Amino acid sequence: MITTTALTKRFGRTTAVDALTLEITPGRVTGFLGPNGAGKSTTMRMILGLDRPDGGTALVEGRPYAALRHPLRVVGALLDSRAVHPGRSARAHLTAMARSNGIPTERVDEVLATVGLTEVAGRRAGSFSLGMSQRLGIAGALLGDPGVLIFDEPVNGLDPDGVRWIRELMRSLAAQGRTVFVSSHLMSEVQLTADQLVVIGRGRLITDAPIADVISASSLTAVRVRLPEPAALGRLRERLVARRLAVEPAGEDELVVTGATVAEVGDLAHELGVRLHGLSTREASLEQAYLELTDNSLQFTGSPVGTATHPTRSEAR
Amino acid sequence: MTTPTSRTTHHPTSPATRRPAAPVPPGSAETRHSGGGLPGAIASEWTKLWSVRSVWWCLLSSVVLMAATAGQLAIYVQNSNTNPEPVDDRGVVAIGRMAVDAVELAQFAVLALALLVITSEYGTGMIRNTLQWTPSRWRLLLAKTTIVAGVTFAVGTLLGVLGAAVAAPVLGEWGRFEAPEAFGDALGVGAYLALISVFTLGLGAALRGPVGTLVAVFLVLTVVPTMLRLPDLAILDTLADVLPGSAGLHFLRGDTDPYPPAVGLLLLAAWAGATLAAGHTVLRRRDA
Repeated sequence: MITTTALTKRFGRTTAVDALTLEITPGRVTGFLGPNGAGKSTTMRMILGLDRPDGGTALVEGRPYAALRHPLRVVGALLDSRAVHPGRSARAHLTAMARSNGIPTERVDEVLATVGLTEVAGRRAGSFSLGMSQRLGIAGALLGDPGVLIFDEPVNGLDPDGVRWIRELMRSLAAQGRTVFVSSHLMSEVQLTADQLVVIGRGRLITDAPIADVISASSLTAVRVRLPEPAALGRLRERLVARRLAVEPAGEDELVVTGATVAEVGDLAHELGVRLHGLSTREASLEQAYLELTDNSLQFTGSPVGTATHPTRSEAR
Repeated sequence: MTTPTSRTTHHPTSPATRRPAAPVPPGSAETRHSGGGLPGAIASEWTKLWSVRSVWWCLLSSVVLMAATAGQLAIYVQNSNTNPEPVDDRGVVAIGRMAVDAVELAQFAVLALALLVITSEYGTGMIRNTLQWTPSRWRLLLAKTTIVAGVTFAVGTLLGVLGAAVAAPVLGEWGRFEAPEAFGDALGVGAYLALISVFTLGLGAALRGPVGTLVAVFLVLTVVPTMLRLPDLAILDTLADVLPGSAGLHFLRGDTDPYPPAVGLLLLAAWAGATLAAGHTVLRRRDA
């Protein structure tokens, strides 16, 4: 369990993290999203006691990180996998790490095998590829068999095989009842991995909800209904509008209903006794839902390419 | 890169192959174990120290510098002593004195080691890992101090023995060997290097960068005392005498003026304590 209460961090006049209150619960993967500069890494660093908050608290299993006697047995983290001494071997790095927290050194070989670095354990970390460094960082996070895991962009630099491995690793860690908190830029990856979604923008909380809710709340998630008879279409439309649902015509025989479920629309059609030729859900992707959420909080915005101001507003599926 | 062998090991549906410690509910691990704390931090720093090559280069340099400088100083002494009667000549020196004088140069190789222990953390970003392993700032600094002081004391004492051993045959009849004196000189070199290394460590923790720290140490140890003595003003001379480098040398040479050697040692210890306190403050206040 990770809890932050009104967590705040300022860098000069910029407020990087603004009164962030979160509860990251065990047993599931919580994805942490936000545009560049939104304060994700700063939040993680404050949870790990690396940055001093200007206000509020960050607790891990109910205690500040700095108060943990064996922090690595409680929290495993991968922040910046390149932040190791390039001249030290992977094994020496993990051995020093294990000794600092009274972890048996046999555990070093176990985690090296887990991440697939056994054969290069004696090599200097500076000679590692980005993917190998990521694996070393993950080995470190797993070393103390902690109940809380924090990963900052874990799939960076990994090949597709490695990405899949990370996904399965995180799912299994959560299934074992651990708290898994992971930031990522890859929406498709988060959609596949996470159960819960925390989105921040400009240091503020935008959304903290189950991923399914985030997707269904998107304006791009809608129900498509096809009716062959124009009169019936008109009647259904009236009833839907009466229920304060957003209805847009799509072509001559189709309606797009936002905010309703397939069941609702189907039931309504049955009530009216109209014939349907199609009833389906058009589900937004996480990327679309995310872009909608963070539209107003982009800190570093590039100039639009071509004429499209919103790259994904085109019809999906 | 080979395919990770553990792909299935972590699959939730295969409890039989879960990682060994997993049966204990996550989060309760904290209470089960001993170890860690200050002894853990010290053990970790010990492993870190010896697992990078630069440390060995520092030690090798210190050996070469000590042997070469002590030998050369011995040659000077031997050459300048022209009186054929060593018995009545005051040019006879303790062999350990050559090591003591050679320390002024050889110390920089040892200081480089102390410097690396802290500045390499910031240079590589490793500090963010180190502080996750040992979040208590004072515990981390105390662990580093223990390792640096212990290693540099041992190395310094050996360097003192080495310098004397190289100087003795060169000095020949102009060298004086008395076991307690030689032993005391060697231990003195060890104590001096340990304290000046801790001074450097504290400064490194406060300044973070290797270049800034090295320049500061070099200025304080050699340049500033010399500059202060140039105008020959009593107050500036006193100031020069209380600086860590001068205090250390007064201690090493057994000077009785301007203060007894023990005071020199205490002054040096006070300086080391002061930079450590400064380093601790910076570690605690600033983001890693």
